[in-house]
Order: sequence, then structure tokens, then C-alpha cells
Amino acid sequence: MSIPEQDRDDVLLRRAAKGDEESFTALYRRHQAALYRFALRMTGSTWAAEEIVQDVFMTLMREPKKYDSGRGPVGAYLYGIARNRVMKHLERLPRELPLEETNDDGAQVREIAVNRFTPAHWAEQQERSERVRAAVLDLPAEFREAVVLCELEELSYEEAAQRSGCPIGTIRSRLHRGRALLMAKLEILRDAPRRVSAAT
Amino acid sequence: MKCEEFESIGLERSGQRMIEVEAGLQRAAREHAAQCPDCAALQESWQEARIALETLRDSTRDAETPDRVEMRLLHEFGMRHRTRKVRSSAIFAAWALATAAVLFASVSWWNGRLTHTQGGAVSAVNGVKSNAPPTEASSSDASDEAILVADNQAGDFTLLPGSLPQEVDDSAIVRVGMQRGALSAFGLPVDEERVSDWIQVDLLVGQDGMPKAVRLPE
Repeated sequence: MSIPEQDRDDVLLRRAAKGDEESFTALYRRHQAALYRFALRMTGSTWAAEEIVQDVFMTLMREPKKYDSGRGPVGAYLYGIARNRVMKHLERLPRELPLEETNDDGAQVREIAVNRFTPAHWAEQQERSERVRAAVLDLPAEFREAVVLCELEELSYEEAAQRSGCPIGTIRSRLHRGRALLMAKLEILRDAPRRVSAAT
Repeated sequence: MKCEEFESIGLERSGQRMIEVEAGLQRAAREHAAQCPDCAALQESWQEARIALETLRDSTRDAETPDRVEMRLLHEFGMRHRTRKVRSSAIFAAWALATAAVLFASVSWWNGRLTHTQGGAVSAVNGVKSNAPPTEASSSDASDEAILVADNQAGDFTLLPGSLPQEVDDSAIVRVGMQRGALSAFGLPVDEERVSDWIQVDLLVGQDGMPKAVRLPE
């Protein structure tokens, strides 16, 4: 099923550039969730993901003519901006880490993307999710991106390679390395000394 | 299949990427895992990691940007485009004003030039008249001429009743001789004792051939 001409992203962008608020809103609503999830999974921070999405659309608002339809769809362009912002955020992160938030009782606040009012029987699942989230966030950025795109976003190697702007082989090797590191961090490698040494 | 090959293929157990792996390779990976305990352990470990990843994926599957971001963006969008509209209107208004000023200046200059040209023509006619010998009438009837002379000094003709100022724009000046009494036909006051005197009069004749204004030369 083809998308009607008036609903195409590039058409919406052209209209938004001329001041059509409805087109801008439509474009935002169409892409915000995917960008937010990607940013959230890469940064592990809701406020950072929020800032990144806002930044992406502010850039689109300020410089709509920077988009070149010959280089790909609007979604890929937006993702490219989001990816740059995420990488910049991750570069800055080590300096920002010491500023950890705490609750009134002094307990550390972890910004998790799960429902804070999860019923008790979901506690185990939540704990597991938190462990794997921490492990993913501990991966180097390029391996993390491969894991996020291929395992969490469930993209094919080809799609992940397009988004990352690198060859498929690079994505494969990054994913392989990312998986090994992830398993090592999760301490779930079983009787596999060869892989442990490879992962560390 | 070697262990290195298994690592790149055997861990793909589901999803889109498994479709990319050929059936033959999948079978070979399964056979390798059955024979190699290291690879079997790796596969089992990865399955556990995958379950953990799926939990994380599910927990963020429905995550969306908070509504406040959309509000902020739309506010910024409105500000940006309103400002642009106001700026465009201001530029348009400035150009319109400038154009109006130029037009006004041009029209004023043109009118001034026309007045100057007509004034010159009238002066020339007056000059011719002033060189002519004074008529008997002009020397003998100062009181009647006073009004017209005054008009003359004002540099203009006296409009005849029923004539409009704009009708004299393209008129011709004709000097005629007539008896003073004929001036009454133009609605001008005439001394009854001297109605039979012959005088020279400048008539401003319109394009329709009718006199529009009169002037008594000095």
C-alpha cells in the first residue's frame, strides 16, 4: 500500500518549512517514538532521550533545507541527527556520571524506562531488565549501537548498517563483540573459557 | 562448521536475521552445537542473555516522548513562523511606504515643472503684451481694470461663470478686440458710461471652442 502523496514525509517537511504547523506535528508524531526509544536504549536516561528528540526536531525546524531527499528518506535523516546527538551525549557522559541523583532517603535514583508501579510478581522481571539495561549501557558505544539496533530494535543487518553508516560486515562483527561483552557483564557465560577471554 | 563460523551464525535463533541465514547453514550450526560443548554452552548462555534483552525490549517497547516535548516544539514553531510573518509584513510595509514616497515626490516634481512651464508661457504672453503700446482703454479706465489687473498680477485668468479650473488646462489664449459692454456677457462689471469703448481682451478658449476665462491685458 503506497502512502498518499500529501502524507509523505518529504511533502510534510516541505509544508512545515513554509509554516504549516499541522504538517510539522504529523511529522513529529510519526517519528518521535522510534527516535525516543533508540535514544533511551542508547543512553538509558529518559531526560537525555527527551532532550535528544527535542534537539532533533529543533534542528529540523531551524534548517529544513538541510534535508536532501536524494540521500534517503526523512526518517533516516532524523535518525542520523539523533545518532549524532546520542554519540555526543555518550562522549560527555563520563564527566556527568558523578552527578547521581538520590532520593530523600539517600537511595540512588535510577532512571528506568519501566513502569514504576509494576506489580510485585513482576519484580523479578524488572530486576532482570534492570541488570541487562545496566549491562547494555556499559558496552562501548559502537557495540551498544549494534546490540540496540539488532537485538532491541530488531533491525536486519542491512538496516542496521544503513542506519549506522557502515558496512554489513562491520555491524556483524560489532554485534558479535557486543554479545560476547554483554554475556560477560551479565555473568551468564557457562563453561566457555574461550569466549570469556574473548569478551574481556 | 568451525566454532568461529558458529559464533556468527549459530546465535541467530529467531527474528529477521534468521531468515537471512540459509537453511543448510542453520542445520550445520545445529549439528556443530550438538558436537561442540563450548559452542553449545555459548548458545545456551546467549539464549539466557536474549531473554534478558527481550525483557528490556518489552519494557521500552511503548516508550514515547513526553507530551511536553511536543508542546515545547510547537510553541517554538509558532514563535519562529509568527516572527517571520511579522518581519515579512514589516518589510512589505516599508517597501510600500518607500514606493509611495517616491511616487509622491515624482508627482510633486512633475506638477511643479508643469506650473513653471505654464508660468513661463503666461509670462511670455504678458511680455508680448507689455511691449505693445498701451491702449486707450487701459489708460483711460483704471477703475474697471483694477480687478482684472489684480488677477493678472496673480498670474491667472478670471474664470467665466460656469467654467471649472480643470477645464482650462489645455486651453489656448486668444487676444480679441471687443467693446467694453460685451464684458457684461461674461458676467463682469462694466461702467455703463463707457460700454462703447473698444478694448483688447485675452480669452482662454477651451478645446470645445468656448471661452473659459478672461483677462484684460495691462
